[in-house]
Amino acid sequence: MQIQAQERDDVLLKRSAKGDEEAFTQLYRRNQAQIYRFALRMTGRAWAAEEIVQDVFMTLVREPKKYDPSRGPLGAFLYGIARNRVMKHLERQPRELSLEQRIAENGTGAIEVPDERTPAHWAELRERRDCVRAAVLSLPPEFRETVVLCELEEMSYEEAATVLECPVGTVRSRLHRGRALLLAKLEMLRDTPKRANAGH
Amino acid sequence: MNCEEFANSGLDFNPNENGRDAEAAREHLRSCPGCAALYERSLELRCDLRELGKATADAGTPSRVEMRLRQEFRTRHKTDKNRDRAVVAGWMLAASTMLLAATSVVLWPQHHGTKIAHGNPTPTLVTASAVANGPELGGTLIAASDDEKFALIPGALPALQDETSVVRVQMQRRSLSALGLSVSEERANDVVEVDLLVGSDGQPQAYRLPESTD
Repeated sequence: MQIQAQERDDVLLKRSAKGDEEAFTQLYRRNQAQIYRFALRMTGRAWAAEEIVQDVFMTLVREPKKYDPSRGPLGAFLYGIARNRVMKHLERQPRELSLEQRIAENGTGAIEVPDERTPAHWAELRERRDCVRAAVLSLPPEFRETVVLCELEEMSYEEAATVLECPVGTVRSRLHRGRALLLAKLEMLRDTPKRANAGH
Repeated sequence: MNCEEFANSGLDFNPNENGRDAEAAREHLRSCPGCAALYERSLELRCDLRELGKATADAGTPSRVEMRLRQEFRTRHKTDKNRDRAVVAGWMLAASTMLLAATSVVLWPQHHGTKIAHGNPTPTLVTASAVANGPELGGTLIAASDDEKFALIPGALPALQDETSVVRVQMQRRSLSALGLSVSEERANDVVEVDLLVGSDGQPQAYRLPESTD
């Protein structure tokens, strides 16, 4: 069956529920990347993000009727499932990692982003990015998801509010608070090497 | 705007914005080096976050996840189809059973009626008589066939010998009058045994009185 490029998600989902594999594949390809990025940025682990994406779409295969189009777009519904899975994953984390540990862990490939550019001056930029990533991962989940959606995914406040199922004002305040926490954490990280050097 | 107010709302201020709040924040930044430094770091952070966002913007789920999901999809829908087929087959079986039961219910009284008729020379009269006299009077037995001694019941059409059977019944003597015999009033209530020659249509065609009957 031929699928129009602009076919709506809910129409595709209906077809998928009737056993149309092409519709399901289209739906998956359209939505997987954003869910994967969200999960990756929230957990900091590629394997966890992969597992979460699989869980999210498995729910769509098993219980397509769980989605109610009147309550919002399918993307928001998928984000909702992904958020639940992310929270469960974070709850299972055995311990809270320190920022330094997070940076060290990222250095060993928790988030592997291929970067073929290797001039020397990019090293500092990369180190800085690792620091920011570690700081984001150390935020409490409710601030982390707001920062991930609004800053990294560049969603509008309204879109983020739909995904997070909260008022726009809450998104604003969480983002403000998240940024302040990030600043404080990054300040702390920058001070740590200085203190370590001062000790020698 | 003081430092606390700036920390609460000024950090999100956009330098290109116009308006009272933006102007107050700009004014505060000019006069407070501490908040200016904080604001500078906040802008840096936003740049860094944007960079981080770009660095992971191309990240996507590995293709093995799609393969696994499609496999699951196929398995699931194949199972669903099989389940649907089983349900349809179940319903068809139930419908057939119901039809069979309904047919049996409709046909049974006719069949039963034929059996009762086997014991009666004239069905209505003798059935009443047999029922009134209890099971011992209405019982039927298959008698030994000896066609030569049978007398034709008035009005009955003789059938082929292969299609007939002999049935022994008990009836009150007065019922013999229906067969064209004369019965004395004194012995009208006696029970006698009669052999009936019954055709394939269930109708008695001939009768005989066994030797023990007077």
